[in-house]
Amino acid sequence: MALNGDDKDFFDWEPPTEAEMKVIQARKERQDKISKLMGGYLLKGYRMLGDCCDVCGTILLQDKQQKLYCVSCQELDSDVDKDNPVLNAQAALSQVRERQLAAQAAAPPAPPPAPELNEGPSSSQASVLVPQPRPEHCEGAAAGGRALLPLPAVPSPTTPAPAPALVPPRAPVSPQSPVIPPLLQEAEEAVLIKLRWATSQLQSSASLETSIQLCSLIASCANSLRSLKELSQ
Amino acid sequence: MPPVERLHLDHVVQTVSVLESVVLRSFGPEGGQVLFTRDTGQAMLSRSGARILTALRLEHPLARMVVECVLKHSTVTGDGSKTFILLLASLLRMIHKMACKEPNVSHTYTSRQTAEASTARHLADNILAFALEELDDLIAMGVIPYGCCLSWEDFTAKKHLPGPSNNDCVQKLLTSFFHSRLGRSHCDFISKLTCELLTHWKFKRDQPSLSLEFVNDNLDALHTPVSGFPISCSRLIEGQVIHRDFATPCPQTEQKTVKAAVFSGYLQPKLLNAGQVLQLGCGEQWMEENSKNNRSIVQFSAWTERSLECVFANLQSLGVSVILSAVKQSAAVLSLAAQAEMCVVECVSENELSLFAQLSGATPVSDCWMVEPEHVATLTFCRPILLGAHRYVHVAFNDSEERVTVKPCSLVICGLGEGQTDQYTCAFRDAIRMLLSTWEPMGMTATTASKRTLQSTKSTYSHVDQIPNVPPFQQCRLQPGYVIPAGGTFEFLLHHALLQNGTSCSASDDTVTSGLAVSQLLANALLIVPRQIYSHSPRHFLQAQARFQTIIQNHSHPFSLVYKQEHRSIFGESAFPLEEDKLTKQADVSAKLFMSDSGLESVSCKYQLLLAVLQCLSSILHVDTVLHTHTALHTQSRRLANTSWEDTDDETED
Repeated sequence: MALNGDDKDFFDWEPPTEAEMKVIQARKERQDKISKLMGGYLLKGYRMLGDCCDVCGTILLQDKQQKLYCVSCQELDSDVDKDNPVLNAQAALSQVRERQLAAQAAAPPAPPPAPELNEGPSSSQASVLVPQPRPEHCEGAAAGGRALLPLPAVPSPTTPAPAPALVPPRAPVSPQSPVIPPLLQEAEEAVLIKLRWATSQLQSSASLETSIQLCSLIASCANSLRSLKELSQ
Repeated sequence: MPPVERLHLDHVVQTVSVLESVVLRSFGPEGGQVLFTRDTGQAMLSRSGARILTALRLEHPLARMVVECVLKHSTVTGDGSKTFILLLASLLRMIHKMACKEPNVSHTYTSRQTAEASTARHLADNILAFALEELDDLIAMGVIPYGCCLSWEDFTAKKHLPGPSNNDCVQKLLTSFFHSRLGRSHCDFISKLTCELLTHWKFKRDQPSLSLEFVNDNLDALHTPVSGFPISCSRLIEGQVIHRDFATPCPQTEQKTVKAAVFSGYLQPKLLNAGQVLQLGCGEQWMEENSKNNRSIVQFSAWTERSLECVFANLQSLGVSVILSAVKQSAAVLSLAAQAEMCVVECVSENELSLFAQLSGATPVSDCWMVEPEHVATLTFCRPILLGAHRYVHVAFNDSEERVTVKPCSLVICGLGEGQTDQYTCAFRDAIRMLLSTWEPMGMTATTASKRTLQSTKSTYSHVDQIPNVPPFQQCRLQPGYVIPAGGTFEFLLHHALLQNGTSCSASDDTVTSGLAVSQLLANALLIVPRQIYSHSPRHFLQAQARFQTIIQNHSHPFSLVYKQEHRSIFGESAFPLEEDKLTKQADVSAKLFMSDSGLESVSCKYQLLLAVLQCLSSILHVDTVLHTHTALHTQSRRLANTSWEDTDDETED
């Protein structure tokens, strides 16, 4: 629609990429779904208000009991929440993978100040993590409501099988690999040792009570590891 | 809630999409019905778009604006509310897509959204300008050749072209209309009844639009809704039904004719109204004779009642036995009328009185002291009639010379419940409006009229260039009464014509990139209608599209036939041996299109619908800001207080 064609050179506009097209398509489908739902509610006797929802910008409906109702917030899965790793396990997992890919790209040119174990464990962990996407582990982190970073550490404590192999190199694994002060490192090692012991005990325990207690010990070890990681940030 | 709210293009698209999803399920011949329920327990089924949209509870100002546009359009053409919303939504989506892809980058805008809004506005204005100028030409070229002109002479005429189809008549048009509105079961019956009514009311010497206008204007007086009976009890009644009962007992007379007088005012003047002061005075002679009597209102009233007797004596001398009054007469008048053996009908509505006056030729009496013979109407009979639960007055007129062309009759519409009767009545009214807009000459604005005079110099259609004179072309465009088969035919044909127009003018002048884009946008947006009609099976849509493509390709342009005919006369018969084949092929094509039993629809209505949609689109996209105001009574209600039609200070405009 070249109304004034010669001024186009001033504006740096490129056609949307494939990914952006997918996003646009997804958004369009979501809008269609919203329209259909709203039409159904209008036919049921809801009132279409002149206001928009503060959160998502959709037009608000009001039912016969004068309650406000936003179709997209309360009925459809939120568009934005999908990408929030705190609330969504898949988002958390995808963020982990992205960080690891970025680290792998950055690691060879810049040797990290942290011990050389980083490269090894990060690649091994990446190779371990990728074939086993297990969102329920991440949900443990999400339910805890904690921040994003200790996720690389989380999958391991709840799986006894790969844990022992990964326990020692896991500590300094965070791909950004900042310099961890020695006190924190010691604390981490202590916790990890206890964790290792707990998992080995868990494997061999036969009583229900001890298993439950060992599991709670492992969980608290994981929590303390997480806080240690946060401290080191 | 901020008092000032910017309207973004997304909002507009979403609002109209919501309305579209509401009407979508009832759209088309396969569409469903909406069940309306009230808190009182009344329930009604309806498929009428106008009814559905008015029943929605909308406080959003843009949605209300759109619904108002739809209703205004529906009062003119009687049909097409759902198609209106569908086309509007489709055009908005296409404009949105185009605006997002290529915003108008020639001006500096503070945000991408304002750039998009500006592009959308420009696009809508361009499309509207294009439609106002070129659309009727395109329709005349691309759609009308495939249609046929309905004859007004005989409503059930057989088609005169060779072929098995005999379906083109007003009745078929009405049947397809009633089918879409009321369902399959009663559409034939009602359409036949309507045709009968129109036959009776045909002004033989005049154009069809005049008699249709007459029926349309007097529709309230020409029909009587009766609830409690099945629809098949509907019938035509000779004469006029006045929807009031007799106020005095109607004497049984054996007379052949009945004389009636129409009074528009009070026979006995009302002396005292609220808030008035009446000062009584009387002549000195009276004072002397009756000085004992006080001047009182009672005496005065008695005097007025005595003077009434003179009025009635006058009426009796003229032979009047029926009095039709527009207002409620006093008790004295009624008792005097009963004494004089005259029947009185009170509170007759203005419409009915004017119709009565027109049909009988008698003028209403304004001054009751001056009743002349020209105020007296002659009727064949005037008797009560029982319709449903009500008793009405039934009058029949003497055939006089000027009225011999018209046989007045009135329609009784029956329905099982009040809601249903109301539905049938509305459908009937909309059918008359639809016929009226079919036969009205296609609207010519000043620009198009002037353009036609410059026909030979400016033309957008390449074929026309080759033809020196185009009398059949003009004839084709201006003649009303064209119909084409329903089911998306109009949209397919116009789509094809628009695409051809776009490609043909792509090499002529430099404003064409916009012309091409506009044609394409409109062409693609039009296809939503047949897509939705065939939405239950997309395969049928593709089949229909393919069928239309072949028909259009096989059908050579009718004016190339004219061209060839002229050349044939110049060059002799051998030049065009395929001439006759092409003519029969054209007849075959039209016959093929009409043979499918999908019903008929009016070209003029569709054209008006398209123009109305484009105007509504342009208005919507010009709305920049919504100002919310609180009225004094309802703190929660909000009104659209101001729409800014100019751009805001964010944008620089040329």
